[in-house]
Amino acid sequence: MFDPYNNAYIVILRGEDQAEVLPIWVGKAEASAISLSLEGVSAPRPMTHDMMKSLLDLYDAKVISVVITDLADNTYYAKIHLLYQDSEFSIDSRPSDAIAIALRTEAPIFAQEAVLKKQTNEELEQWLENLKPEDFGKLDS
Amino acid sequence: MSTPTPQSQELIELKVHGVVRDENTDTQIVVLRDEQRSEVLPIWVGLAEGNAIRLAQEGIVTPRPMTHDLIRSLVTHLGIQVRQVVITDVKNTTYFATVYLSSKGVDRTLDARPSDAIALALRMQCPIYVTQDVLNRRGGANADVWLEKLIPKKTDTQEV
Repeated sequence: MFDPYNNAYIVILRGEDQAEVLPIWVGKAEASAISLSLEGVSAPRPMTHDMMKSLLDLYDAKVISVVITDLADNTYYAKIHLLYQDSEFSIDSRPSDAIAIALRTEAPIFAQEAVLKKQTNEELEQWLENLKPEDFGKLDS
Repeated sequence: MSTPTPQSQELIELKVHGVVRDENTDTQIVVLRDEQRSEVLPIWVGLAEGNAIRLAQEGIVTPRPMTHDLIRSLVTHLGIQVRQVVITDVKNTTYFATVYLSSKGVDRTLDARPSDAIALALRMQCPIYVTQDVLNRRGGANADVWLEKLIPKKTDTQEV
């Protein structure tokens, strides 16, 4: 979804039961990496996150999950949890990269409860309330 | 000795000379040059890809890991060495690249867009090569003329 006020894109994450909503502001390139995958579009050439998936497949490394771990000063932090040769490790990532990878590897996306609590600030709620259906562009389809 | 290396596969090492914004389109141009500066290879890339290359070239560390920094930490965690990247082919104006990886004595290759390959090479400090064949077939006369006019002025401002 495009945010005309900030000239940025927003990824909307929801809980399975639709009870929780977590919107994350991301850049244009990151948004297109996510929406390409959501829409099942494969680009004529491997995009950056497709290359990462090829790399993971090549070395038989599995993405167990991605977790949105923290929110500080309107910036979200995430970790990608991987399994490689029977050992687990995690690497720091921006949420946009983590989500783009999760969608390509069919790994689950989690948010820590504390993050969900933190993000319910008034400003945001108001912004969301003012949203009209027309604001949802092609990226949300 | 069983793998023949045709003349056209001769590799030339290139360095990133600069990243230039193309004012006419929403793209950037990565200008690669060889050590002797006798060859120039311009490659058009997207805005995000151009930025990923510029950040690495200028040694800027961002507060949060950008996509190619993430790839670097992934590669490092998996114990993989990135040995070299090679620009292997050009069809019309589209370039193709291969990333050469090595882990525990086993060599593997990964297809990539040149922009990703270069952004990764700069972060892994591995050499960037182009085949002689690609250099021979690069761009058209028009692009050369266009670049000759553009480069001296634009790269100066970029590199200050």
